[in-house]
Amino acid sequence: MTQAAALAAYGSSSPSNRNRIINGGMVFDQRNAGASVTPANADYTLDRWRSYLSQASKYSVQQNAGSVTPPAGFINYLGVTSLSAYSVGSSEFFSIQQFIEGFNVADLGWGTANAQAVTLSFKVYSSLTGTFGGVLQNDGQNRSYPFTYSIPTANTWTTISVTVSGDTSGTWLTNSGRGIAVWFGLGAGSTVSGTAGAWAAASYFSATGATSVVGTSGATFYITGVQLEAGSVATPFCPAGGGSYGQELALCQRYYWQQALGAANIMLGIGTVFSGTNMNGFVQFPVQMRTAPSLVQSTGTNYYYFERDTAATPFSGFSALNRASKDAGQLYISGLAGTSGQAGILFTASSSAAIGYSAEL
Amino acid sequence: MYKQIKYQEQIIGAFKEDGGVRVSFGFTDPANTDYQEYLKWLAEGNTPEPADPVE
Repeated sequence: MTQAAALAAYGSSSPSNRNRIINGGMVFDQRNAGASVTPANADYTLDRWRSYLSQASKYSVQQNAGSVTPPAGFINYLGVTSLSAYSVGSSEFFSIQQFIEGFNVADLGWGTANAQAVTLSFKVYSSLTGTFGGVLQNDGQNRSYPFTYSIPTANTWTTISVTVSGDTSGTWLTNSGRGIAVWFGLGAGSTVSGTAGAWAAASYFSATGATSVVGTSGATFYITGVQLEAGSVATPFCPAGGGSYGQELALCQRYYWQQALGAANIMLGIGTVFSGTNMNGFVQFPVQMRTAPSLVQSTGTNYYYFERDTAATPFSGFSALNRASKDAGQLYISGLAGTSGQAGILFTASSSAAIGYSAEL
Repeated sequence: MYKQIKYQEQIIGAFKEDGGVRVSFGFTDPANTDYQEYLKWLAEGNTPEPADPVE
């Protein structure tokens, strides 16, 4: 199909859910609310975007880092800043990545003879120029498609489009696990880099010869408008939520919900004193999550309080999220003195308190 | 290092804490990636810290 024909077909059908990347416009940053972070390996930064790295403290990530003007049609981007001039070892790697849930790519037929091609498009801006790299990979990390793209002019938004043939080999999950991993390399060694433009039965984290962002102190790498869609033509960016802020947020919340961050007196749930020293609270998640989530909380003296019977009992954190399902959970505190049977409300008591629920891939 | 969590005398989950951030998870959903990481850690021969007594 020619590009004109593909765009005509797009215009007539305009499927609002064609983008398999969630938060491709980098709008949501529930965990950090725009603050800069220096991620550890496997830390999530902006919603759905994970850092995967072999050495900590080599780059920071911040929504709208550097405050440059985003490309037309966007208000946000994910900004990476190199914190040193690091010489990447042969097996080392630095990247940002998104795992696409298997359910959301099951129709592509990867791992079968009917595998469909996909096109990855995005807008990128860097203080560096040259050839950059990335990779598409399966959950088992034994099928990799390294790709390259060029940034010809520094500090200018460049639109990139990469078409990838569907993989007819390997195992590609079509369930709630990691369907396709999309990686953007920030520096990778020779043994974890592969030849661009071909599928390999290997675990590669970028393309051979790609520019190392972490190799230059202060180097910047900004990206937004990330879209992965079926077919061989890049259509105009459309958020996975179809352009609805609320729908896109809900898609993010399937994987992570930040219930409280940076403020006191945020209501967390209702609870009852269970046995004189234990409190059981109830929390309902705003959308059904991918799995029963983990509870992610900051802990510290008097970060939270339980208000009941004209009194507020402070506590430092919850003991557990017990009996969690994909929809709700029991916030449990051991050692909270009270009168059995009394009911009350749970709140944050400090701007340092933070409560999140993670069902990330 | 992980530490077990006890509820009504039953071990129900585990947590790890780093820099004032505690991540806790239950043992009920095998698709939870924190639980998967924990199982991998156990398989490597590690042992979690026992849970505190239930008050």
